[in-house]
Amino acid sequence: MPVQFAAKRLGKELSKIQNGLPPGIELVSADDLEEWLLDIRVLDNNPLYLNETYRLKFRFSQSYPIEPPEVVFVKQADRPIPVHPHIYSNGIICLDLLGQQGWSPVQSVESVCMSLQSMLTGNTKNERPAGDEDFVRANKLRPKDIEFYYHDNSV
Amino acid sequence: MSSSLALKEEGNRHFQKGDYIAAEALYTKAILSDPSNPLLYTNRAMARLKLPDPPYFSIVEDCEECLRLSSSSSSSSGGNKNMKALYYLSQSHLALKNYDQAVSYALLAHEKCVETGDKSLPAITAQVLKCKKERWEHREKLRKREEQEVEEEMVELLTQEMERMMKDETDQEGKEETKKMYEEKIETLRNVFERARKKEEQRRREPPDWAVDDISFQVMVDPVMTKTGKSYERASIEEHLRRSETDPLTRTPLTIKDLVPNIDLKHACEEFLNENGWAVDW
Repeated sequence: MPVQFAAKRLGKELSKIQNGLPPGIELVSADDLEEWLLDIRVLDNNPLYLNETYRLKFRFSQSYPIEPPEVVFVKQADRPIPVHPHIYSNGIICLDLLGQQGWSPVQSVESVCMSLQSMLTGNTKNERPAGDEDFVRANKLRPKDIEFYYHDNSV
Repeated sequence: MSSSLALKEEGNRHFQKGDYIAAEALYTKAILSDPSNPLLYTNRAMARLKLPDPPYFSIVEDCEECLRLSSSSSSSSGGNKNMKALYYLSQSHLALKNYDQAVSYALLAHEKCVETGDKSLPAITAQVLKCKKERWEHREKLRKREEQEVEEEMVELLTQEMERMMKDETDQEGKEETKKMYEEKIETLRNVFERARKKEEQRRREPPDWAVDDISFQVMVDPVMTKTGKSYERASIEEHLRRSETDPLTRTPLTIKDLVPNIDLKHACEEFLNENGWAVDW
């Protein structure tokens, strides 16, 4: 008997989301229980992110929320990848909350969006992670298989 | 004896391949060759549950035989097969619309599952909720039908009384007035019933936070508390702790052994679900 929390739990998250999300977060699509798209905006006047909207892609496995979702920024004509020392230019995010170690099953799609929002809000550095170009060129791994080294939690 | 085991193995192979008819036949042969092995009966029940039109009465018999045999034997490994027998009993009784039995067997299977640390806990927790929901729906249907009947009966009584009173009135004006009075009464009565129904619908939107597990987002069946005093569904938090031995909220070390049952919350959730079976699927 396999563990299948995902379907019920995501169904319930979706119905909550459809009843309303915090300001600056919008559901774009959730056609199935595998992949959802959401848009986020930074609400204060941080000049790095002013007037921009960013698109997030969530991918869920059968064992969500025991396992973390895979979350990346995706690039489109009107949806850039936000500049941040923990966000690679291919959209991959280095955030302990989304890693195998830092994830907790009480997190949700909504709380992840809010964490990313505040991660952007608090940032003042107009830069990519060290080694961004090499990483983006060389990386063939899925985000969940990358072992980030969370050395700098102050950013 | 050994031929019975060989037949069982052969049955298992067919079951794995999805050939449940052949598996069932082989388990039957195995039972004929050794009628005293309780495991053979749960295996046959498991195969029968997979048949296109499951023979629930025979499944119930198989499971009861398994329980009877394992309670008389001194074998200490009874836990797992008993749990399966109880789980299949719950599924069969639910299909047969014996709701109370379905709930009791699901709860017994849950208890056995916790006791033996079996990995099926999430599935059995889901079975408990499913049985409770279907029992509630069944009771609701009966209650609604009863109320509908009472409503119709009251309207009928008022109508009869109206006709009697109208007969006593001599002039047309008196008749009209009596008719109007009774029609208003009937309308009031219908409105009262209608309002009660609407109010009920509105109430059924979201279960209270205290009853809901923050991991599965389901109403809790067996809430257990962490060291911080926060409660989760046992099946959910154990699943998490097998992956990572940390408290989901504080990230401090936490193991399955640290969990303690939250009995008062368990009773509160039971009471809530008995009245609000809809909350299983909110």
